[in-house]
Amino acid sequence: MTLLIRPDDWNLPLFVHVAGAMVLLGALLLAAVVLAGVGRAGEPTQVVTLTRFGFRTLLAAALPAFVVMRVGAEWIASEEDLDDEPWIGVGYITSDGGLVFLVAAIIVAGLSLRRARKGGRPASLARAAAILSFVIIAAFLVAVWAMTTKPD
Amino acid sequence: MSRYDWLLFLHVIAAFATVASVVVLAGLLGATWRVSAPGDAMPLLRLSRLAEMLWNVGGAGVLILGVWLAVDVDGYGLADGWIVAAFVLWVVAGASGGMVGRGYRDALAGGRAGGTATLASTIRSSRSLLLHGVMAVAVAALLVVMIWKPGAA
Repeated sequence: MTLLIRPDDWNLPLFVHVAGAMVLLGALLLAAVVLAGVGRAGEPTQVVTLTRFGFRTLLAAALPAFVVMRVGAEWIASEEDLDDEPWIGVGYITSDGGLVFLVAAIIVAGLSLRRARKGGRPASLARAAAILSFVIIAAFLVAVWAMTTKPD
Repeated sequence: MSRYDWLLFLHVIAAFATVASVVVLAGLLGATWRVSAPGDAMPLLRLSRLAEMLWNVGGAGVLILGVWLAVDVDGYGLADGWIVAAFVLWVVAGASGGMVGRGYRDALAGGRAGGTATLASTIRSSRSLLLHGVMAVAVAALLVVMIWKPGAA
């Protein structure tokens, strides 16, 4: 295999795109694990702490990282002039679908937090937000595969 | 998919895991810093195991697959300046991350024993803040080196 060197102009947008995607997946994984663990928390204050942490991770880390990842994606796509490549389509589909699921996960996690603060049982809502987050992670792993292997 | 495609895909996935480890630790640092009741910090501190697992798997994967790629691809060599820089950054990130992880383990053990002082001395300290920062900067620098490949032909 012979290496291919990309033009220097592509490095910054690629860095923005990849860094955003990496932080996004990390934040999604953290939120998913935290929210999935809400049902196992013992004390009511621990339930609130975990639910709040999961909600804030989605809202204050995953969502901004998604924006950075998407801005970087548009930037590098315009630099490379690659709109017609099939693997770019995989990226757009998972990105757009992922945003819908991410917004849904944030809303559900927010509802879960509100229920926890009122002394209710937020575990089922938190679990739903965790499942949504895991679905996004799975979809984005497919996108990472498409971005790195660039299938025809 | 060619062998190169597989190696690159798995190398990138491993890199995602290492960054996820940093994200988890940063999130835990922020969350445990603000928690007032020590008991509430316990479920958060347990999440440090997730960061440790991500680093162990991702860090090892990045290193092994990165070396494999460097050997396999014509034009790259293990003695290239940017690859040596990546090794150094990997060691810095691993060493600082190891000390961060030890701090969380100590805080967890101290919390189980009912103590509150361990949390303050291990996590809510300027040393802990510095170690988290060093790890994050080293991992970010690794990504910069991997993308820019300074000095590559």
